[in-house]
Amino acid sequence: MTDLDIGRAWLVDPTVAREGPGEIVVRDGILEAVTWLEREEADGIDAGGVVVAPGFIDLHAHLREPGNEDAETVASGLAAAAHGGFTTVCAMPNTTPTLDEPGVLARIRTAAAASGSPVELLAHGAVSTGRDGETLAALGELADAGVVGFSDDGAPVRSASILRNALAYAGALGLPIVDHPEDPTLTDGAEANEGFVSTVLGLRGWPTAAEEAAVGRDLAILADVVRDVPGARLHLTHLSTAAALELVRRAKAAGLPVTCDVTPHHLALSDEWIAGARRFAWEAGEEGDPWRDDALVAAPYGSSLRVNPPLRTPADALACLAALADGTADAIATDHAPHTEVDKMVEFGEAANGISGIETALGLVLEAVDAGHLTLSRAIEALTAGPAAILGRRSRRNGSVGLVEGALADLVVFDRAERWMVSADRLASRGKNSPLIGLDLPGRVLVTIAGGQVAYEADLVTAR
Amino acid sequence: MMSGRRIMTADEIRRATIRLSHEIVEKQAGTDGLLLIGIQRRGVPLARRIAAAILENEGARVPVGALDITFYRDDLSLVAQQPVVKGTELPSGIDGRTVVLVDDVLYTGRTIRAAMDALVDFGRPQAIRLAVLVDRGHRELPIRADHVGKNVPTSREELVRVHLEETDGEDGVEIERIVDVPEPVGAGEPVG
Amino acid sequence: MSAVIDDAATTDVVVPSVDVAPESQPVGWRHRHLLDVDGLTAIDLDLVMRTADAMREVLARPIAKVPALRGRNVTILFYEASTRTRVSFEVAAKNLSADVVNIAAATSSVTKGESLIDTIRTVEALGAQMLVIRHSVSGAPYLAAEVFSGSVLNGGDGWHAHPTQALLDLYTMRSRLDGGSVAGRKIVILGDVLHSRVARSNIWSLTAAGADLWLCGPPTLLRGFEAWAGRGAAAGRRFHVTSSVEDALRDADVVMALRIQRERMASGLLPSLREYAARYGLTAARLALAKPAALVMHPGPMNEGVEIAAEVAAGPQSVITDQVTNGVAIRMALLYLLAGVASTGSGASPAANASPAA
Ligand SMILES: [Zn+2]
Repeated sequence: MTDLDIGRAWLVDPTVAREGPGEIVVRDGILEAVTWLEREEADGIDAGGVVVAPGFIDLHAHLREPGNEDAETVASGLAAAAHGGFTTVCAMPNTTPTLDEPGVLARIRTAAAASGSPVELLAHGAVSTGRDGETLAALGELADAGVVGFSDDGAPVRSASILRNALAYAGALGLPIVDHPEDPTLTDGAEANEGFVSTVLGLRGWPTAAEEAAVGRDLAILADVVRDVPGARLHLTHLSTAAALELVRRAKAAGLPVTCDVTPHHLALSDEWIAGARRFAWEAGEEGDPWRDDALVAAPYGSSLRVNPPLRTPADALACLAALADGTADAIATDHAPHTEVDKMVEFGEAANGISGIETALGLVLEAVDAGHLTLSRAIEALTAGPAAILGRRSRRNGSVGLVEGALADLVVFDRAERWMVSADRLASRGKNSPLIGLDLPGRVLVTIAGGQVAYEADLVTAR
Repeated sequence: MMSGRRIMTADEIRRATIRLSHEIVEKQAGTDGLLLIGIQRRGVPLARRIAAAILENEGARVPVGALDITFYRDDLSLVAQQPVVKGTELPSGIDGRTVVLVDDVLYTGRTIRAAMDALVDFGRPQAIRLAVLVDRGHRELPIRADHVGKNVPTSREELVRVHLEETDGEDGVEIERIVDVPEPVGAGEPVG
Repeated sequence: MSAVIDDAATTDVVVPSVDVAPESQPVGWRHRHLLDVDGLTAIDLDLVMRTADAMREVLARPIAKVPALRGRNVTILFYEASTRTRVSFEVAAKNLSADVVNIAAATSSVTKGESLIDTIRTVEALGAQMLVIRHSVSGAPYLAAEVFSGSVLNGGDGWHAHPTQALLDLYTMRSRLDGGSVAGRKIVILGDVLHSRVARSNIWSLTAAGADLWLCGPPTLLRGFEAWAGRGAAAGRRFHVTSSVEDALRDADVVMALRIQRERMASGLLPSLREYAARYGLTAARLALAKPAALVMHPGPMNEGVEIAAEVAAGPQSVITDQVTNGVAIRMALLYLLAGVASTGSGASPAANASPAA
């Protein structure tokens, strides 16, 4: 079993709202000691170096198995997760066949067990059979089998009526509906966020209103359902617009049981990248114009940037960061969406939507932290306690994600000062569709321990 | 402006031009059917000077044209960028005329080859002749000039520069050595 | 700057005694590809215009053919049917003595599941040295440029860009407007701006050349352009956007009508072609709002009686046939300029060298 001593690091434990210099000892996979160092003992330790945090939880990852194993398998997806510092992953149900009955869940669990990865695999079940948006999937049976929520992700729950029924039914099962908010009548053929960049590049516009309108619909239905079914819960995934986040902010203030997440790419990147810019949203600012600013450094139309929802304006990205900071957004979810070259190395408008992002999530979030748009503790919280609260007690960790002495070790150690170059070779995911390839990111993961076992370790750790 | 060794002065150029004009008329036995076509850029003012000399001596107006051979060059892959096109304007009809191509320096002969290719696309002259201010040798094609202002023995490592009032603000021919300047040399440092 | 050959020589014309000094001459062409006009400077534009002048002179010769691109393989790969643009490129390449290979993607195996990248590799293996590509997806030529080792010339991509059209439009305006310049001239692009690569490319080139540019059309077909106009192209080169035909046309120097397509009705952007013609069609009565000698242009193909009245298209102010002739000269100029860079491999434009992860 695993033994690990980390001396003189920066510990972050969102469950007790504490961070500071400390040491941990893992013996036989158990987190035996967590020591917070005081005063002179702590000299020379700061938050800019080696950090120990609870293992990250991803609410939203596409593992592509069964059906598209060329893009990703459960095994490669879990390896990628561990490389990214994640110890718990919620697989999305838009596989082939759809995860709309317990048989498919059993299949991916078998695959996870066979992979030998200690990363915990959770799954969302589909809302509708075959994600057709018309008939309810076997929600009760799926709940019994252990899914953690229901989602037709890849697409919204198309019918308002089905959504209404699903919220009520799942609410009684104690599980959330995880909706991908998009009004498809506004996004037919859409390629990029509708705005300045899409206009200049001649890309079919994807209006922010498509997300805002869908969120408005979902919230109205939730308000209606929750009157009869107090347990009904709605989770809105990958919100990308200032307007939609503002609707959630108000709904939360009004007491509606709604939660939401944002992705690392929506909070750090923007539609400017499609034009060839390679600066973060906060560097562009709300009035950024990459043509005027002479910020175009790469070829435009990089298909790795095609994603649903699309990369929005720098102002929207800053709104995602603000929503994380004030608690409107509960979690950071990766929407890890690996694709094959065949689906991605094509014309921008022909490319599949999605970014292979679970391994670069931490790096992008740390860039935002470094730039002062998020505190380290809030960033870690949004990767751990935030998603844990949405999952409730369905995880191995039983809803507890702190650095708890005596529990099975479940943690990540990364070095904020060490940058690593993203490359196809370095990505454990089969999906090499990352717009960050060739760039370097801070926060190289040194070791990931999941369920008491080493899930990932960088070469240098063995020497320690 | 000029930095090399001077091999022709303004006066020598003037005299050479007049001599060329006499030779051309003599060879044609008059000015009938004669057409002077300068090769862009310095062949054009030279052709015009020769025409002016003929006008002065013979009282005859010989038409002058300009020929841009840019599109006919065979050394595209040797130039870093496409040369800027100067334009071609020929007096109407070259069929049956005696065309005298005029250029400043005759070297490899490739420019003249290109000029002849260009010319035959415009029509069928009775004869094509060649007049140059300087013949510096080193032909790569079987081409020779009918009329030469001055023969100058050179080596391939040398550069012959013709300056004309019309294009360069002064008249003169100079010769200089092509020096391989080592790449990053600090400003003001002696070279070589 | 003048579009006229500056040192044209005839017996009557006196050559200026002092020509442009070599060091003050414009820098030569340095772009390996022509994918968009957004990266072209005023100096680049001028070089293209001057080279096109020389090509017009070639076109006027008894043998309108020069050997400049002899032995070069120019492959024309069109993923969209367009006879006029394809033929214009083909004539241009043949006038320069290039070997021309034509691939109409709609009628060949490239539509049967072969990816663009595979197709580009195939045509390169078959000897293509310069590639003219037209594609219905915006940005496709950039993908082609990433894998093709020669020069790529964008013959129109999606809604994004149509560089040769914008350059021939500019050339036509400069040769027809008094003073030979569009600077300060009121130029109106009228119609379906949203779906128009011609409009997008003209925004870059006309604002770079200093024109007072106006875009006009129904609000549904101008979507997004207000935001662009507010920022301006590149370094804040502003232009105007309006749905009022009267405001746009009043005192205009040039009016360019854009083609309107039937599909716009199906997607609910317009009620009917009849209504469009009545409200936005370029009629003689509307043209009367412009300056008396205003030029009428159209990139073609036209729907006469819809976006432009037949009497206007064929009227005395129309320079539409000039556009076609100038199109050949401009395409010859661009093929020639690109060939110079491609042959040395020294050409480098940032967009061509930067390789995005995909
Ligand atoms: Zn989604």
